[in-house]
Amino acid sequence: MKWAGIAYALVIALLSTPAGAQSDPKAELAKLKPKDFPTQPIEFTVVYPAGGGMDVSARLLAKHVENLSGDRIIVNNRTGGAGMVGHSYLATQAKPDGYTVGVIASLLWGDAMLRAQGRWAHTDLEPIAYVNSDALIWVGSTEGPYKGMSIKDIVSAAKEKPNTIRVAIVPGSMWEYILDQIETNSGAKFLRVPFQGGGAGITALIGGNVDIAQGFFSEFRGYLEGGKVAPLAVAAGGRMDFLKDMPTFNEAFGSNEYLWQLVRYAVVPKGTPADRKAYLAAAVQAAMKDPELIAEYRKQGVFFDPKLQNSKDLAADLNAYADVERQFYVKTGRLK
Amino acid sequence: MFERTLNVFWIVFGAASAAYAWSLGMVGPAGPESGLFPFIASVIVSGAGIILLLRPLGVAPDFPRGGGLWRVLGVVVGLIVMAAGMPYLGFSVTSFITMIILLRAVDQSSWLSAVTLAFISTASVFWLFGQMLGMALPRGPWGW
Amino acid sequence: MEALNGLLTGFGVILTPSNLYLCFLGSLIGTLVGVLPGVGPLAALALLLPVTFTLSPVGGLVMLCSIFYGAMYGGSTTSILLNIPGEAASVVTCFDGHQMARQGRAGPALGIAAIGSFIAGTLGVVIMTFFAPAIAAVAIRFGPPENFALMVLGLVCTLFMISGSTIKGVLMMALGCLTAAVGLDVVNGRERYTFGSVDLSGGIELLAVVIGLFGIAEILSNVETMAKTTLLADRIRGLWPSLADWRASWRPILRGSGLGFLLGLVPGGGPVTAAFMSYALEKRIAAQPERFGKGAIEGVAGPESANNSAVAGSLIPVLSLGIPSNPVTALLLGALIIQGIQPGPLFIAQRPDLFWGIVASMYIGNVFLLLLNLPLIGLWVQFLRIPYRVMFPVVLLLCVVGTYSANKNVFDLWIMLGFGIGGYVLRKLEYDLAPFVIAFVLAPLLEQSLRQSLVMSPDGAMILVKRPVAAVLLAASALLTYLMFRRQTKNEGGLS
Repeated sequence: MKWAGIAYALVIALLSTPAGAQSDPKAELAKLKPKDFPTQPIEFTVVYPAGGGMDVSARLLAKHVENLSGDRIIVNNRTGGAGMVGHSYLATQAKPDGYTVGVIASLLWGDAMLRAQGRWAHTDLEPIAYVNSDALIWVGSTEGPYKGMSIKDIVSAAKEKPNTIRVAIVPGSMWEYILDQIETNSGAKFLRVPFQGGGAGITALIGGNVDIAQGFFSEFRGYLEGGKVAPLAVAAGGRMDFLKDMPTFNEAFGSNEYLWQLVRYAVVPKGTPADRKAYLAAAVQAAMKDPELIAEYRKQGVFFDPKLQNSKDLAADLNAYADVERQFYVKTGRLK
Repeated sequence: MFERTLNVFWIVFGAASAAYAWSLGMVGPAGPESGLFPFIASVIVSGAGIILLLRPLGVAPDFPRGGGLWRVLGVVVGLIVMAAGMPYLGFSVTSFITMIILLRAVDQSSWLSAVTLAFISTASVFWLFGQMLGMALPRGPWGW
Repeated sequence: MEALNGLLTGFGVILTPSNLYLCFLGSLIGTLVGVLPGVGPLAALALLLPVTFTLSPVGGLVMLCSIFYGAMYGGSTTSILLNIPGEAASVVTCFDGHQMARQGRAGPALGIAAIGSFIAGTLGVVIMTFFAPAIAAVAIRFGPPENFALMVLGLVCTLFMISGSTIKGVLMMALGCLTAAVGLDVVNGRERYTFGSVDLSGGIELLAVVIGLFGIAEILSNVETMAKTTLLADRIRGLWPSLADWRASWRPILRGSGLGFLLGLVPGGGPVTAAFMSYALEKRIAAQPERFGKGAIEGVAGPESANNSAVAGSLIPVLSLGIPSNPVTALLLGALIIQGIQPGPLFIAQRPDLFWGIVASMYIGNVFLLLLNLPLIGLWVQFLRIPYRVMFPVVLLLCVVGTYSANKNVFDLWIMLGFGIGGYVLRKLEYDLAPFVIAFVLAPLLEQSLRQSLVMSPDGAMILVKRPVAAVLLAASALLTYLMFRRQTKNEGGLS
């Protein structure tokens, strides 16, 4: 009986050691929580209007971070100037006390390089975690004169008949830049119709007011399922899981420069105390490992860039991407 | 007199705005440029100012004097305090101070009733928006 | 019939205790949010969005939608009682509604507003029930040329609304267009009139302008005189609309319902535009337009109905096609996506429970709101008895918080103050401020649509004539302008 007792005790002891149990992300996170932090809700700043793609990503993230950390998170939309107002706020006005986390996209780099006029740089915001990436996709209509054509056919048609094929763009950003690249490389000329956002362009496409629209998967997924739009090409390094038949621009044109993706990541203002920054980074990264969140993101048609997901130095890797963009601006004369 | 000043103001303002709009560019290859619409609007403002200037004056407006003027200025000062103070002192403190200014200066309540009402209204608004609606009102250096 | 089947499904979905409770809660919050000056449905929805995560998709969406149209009910309350708009779509109700309150007729004004809202809201849902997909298919074809023509018509209608000097009204409209130009030029991304300020590069916030021009200016005016201790020295005469009121109001209510619904459908439209246009319409066709601005009940019945049916109208593109026509519906779209639901042309087919549940909830929600708002009229009217010297600081505080809630940017408070002082001064000099606001709202879309149309079209401006809807709308605008000139010169022998 004594041996049975000891054996029983040993078994119980073994089963309750951490080695025998799964590590609990909540517990891990709680260990990193600094003293006296947080005593008030943490703001997740989104620089685009509520309901948009960025906002949806941020709110999903906030929901999971709140679950894991137990802290109260409030998503705040600081909109205006196509993101400029919010970016400026984060870079120059937000207090670096750990209560502000920006959930932003790589459009920050364009704002910092072209429009900030030296008042702030994108390095004033320190990345703490990578969220997801969204690649720009060209879609055409399933009705009209260009239906059924591939991306190469369409570019050829644009070359033969310059200024007739109408493309929806959002001025001052990647929607224009990719057109610049295509036109320079192929000699085609498209008619650029400006809109306030990708979604408005897709609406125009369905209404027959433009021939090609550009946007992200979540913006046109409903129409795709309804058979109203036909995806043409994606500006990424490889094909998308959710649209395996759609070629990349690089494939179609034998190049490697058609890479236009929105990289979404979380930042804190420079100067945030190291322990709070580490805690926030751990919280967001833990949320990013949650399979439920990953599944929800995949439904949005985002993808996860392996280089950034497994990055050892997120800031450096993101800066590398930012530099590629800077090269583009210098090359096209937008930046001296 | 005041009305004439205002008319002249419209003329000058419209002209300045039109000049700025002109510098933005009127017409480009793709149709109107950034400056065209503001230019047209500015010209209309100036033109309306000129027409009004040439018209006979209407009834003279009664501008506040004496007590009325002080009260109006009191409200304006209160709002300035609110806008200037909120980023540094946070919502609660700033609105408390502002309410006291308003109640004392504009309305001449006693100190006791001013402080009481200021406290109650600030606290209720803070609770209503902060807790019930979940809106983050700016916090001061004390954390609330 | 398919629609009736769907409706039955919807009622089946909504008639559960939890969904009914959420509908009621949303109506309550919406009313409250509408009453509070400045805080509008957009701010409330953005704030309450996280709450819907824990609810079922139907429950969450029903709650959000009921906040949206609930706010249209509540917005008239402060407009009528205090001459301060509860939110942007209720600005117009201030003009005649508050005058009615001053004449002791706050009760009938509030009553007509509530009942008109109910009738319009319900009519809107009925049209939605039977015609949503068909209407959506037409609405989608509205491209830049049609938008431009519609905006032109809107601005022409605004000319009718101008009370007092026409020249001053035109000046205000031009000023509104200029103010709207501050910020980014949408068409090419360039900054205009920002002079290096980052805050200005986001444009000037409509809410700050509206609260400043109508809220702060009103408080400044009242504070100056402080002659009466309460807003209402006389006894309040009756709480219910009289038979005469009904006779005068039922046609504006119907017209407002129709007009509001149509304007809710188009992008850039929505409740704000609908309310203004309804006012312009009522004033134009009234037998004695001079009564407007002095307590004409048509000026309350029409706009209050229009802003409610505009809610139903704006829900059609979002639910049938997944296209938002204003920021509030954009937010609803986001809420759907977060719940994992894909809005789009297949939404009705894939999730009939959701679509019809929402539609059914709108019938019920409108009833809730009527039941909530009518008994409250007696309570609100009592508010007028509170000494103004105690009330105005609290109202001022609410205006500040309400304006702040739009962008959480203190800069908006300065805008509010500036426009408050400006509005106060301009009122003294007999400038009508309404045309400023309408031009401010319509001008950006007008400019954007025109420039988009010119870019899109192979033969320049001819596109405006070649597309039938655009051509018709422009012809209507031209006709109205001509008629207006004729009336002016006939009446007064020249522009005043």
